[in-house]
Amino acid sequence: MIREVTVDVLLGLAVAVAAASSAGVLAMRDAYQRVHYLTPLSIVAPVLVGLAVLVQAGYSTRSAQTWLAVGFLVIASPFLSHATIRAARIRADGDWRTTIGHDGAKPEDKP
Amino acid sequence: MSAFVLAAIGMLLAAIPCLIVVWRGQPMDAVVAYEAVGSITVLVLILLAEGFRRSGEFELAVLLAVLILGSGLVFVRFLERWL
Repeated sequence: MIREVTVDVLLGLAVAVAAASSAGVLAMRDAYQRVHYLTPLSIVAPVLVGLAVLVQAGYSTRSAQTWLAVGFLVIASPFLSHATIRAARIRADGDWRTTIGHDGAKPEDKP
Repeated sequence: MSAFVLAAIGMLLAAIPCLIVVWRGQPMDAVVAYEAVGSITVLVLILLAEGFRRSGEFELAVLLAVLILGSGLVFVRFLERWL
């Protein structure tokens, strides 16, 4: 009984986190703001799902494969977010470094 | 219907706002939403595999979790340089 309730709570939280993050992706204005909502979707929700499978299945092959997928998501998410924002900055400004402005001039080049 | 299958349906419904951004957004916005949909899809595969007790289908989720990183990097690289 306690196991079922725990699984239900964990899954409910995971779905709530996913729904809130997805709504955040829709509501925000640009990629810089939207990418913030990838983190709970790629880290919090997978960990909750992994915990639910662990509670349901115990230490088993199913749990191991679930945590393997969760591990890949958790590790990949920061790299992907960084690469996405880097690409967005290069598309917008021509360079990802903050010291170069929209006109391509570095601070030391300006009078 | 088990809680895992219901959660998978909930996850699929949660993906709808991201799919709207993929459909209507600018390229960079669409890539961000695509990455979100990819994460949701991995979770859906895990939930369905556990819900229907098919241990072999967990491998799909593991593979997709690996491929999301590669495909996302390819997308952002193309957007950064050529598109």
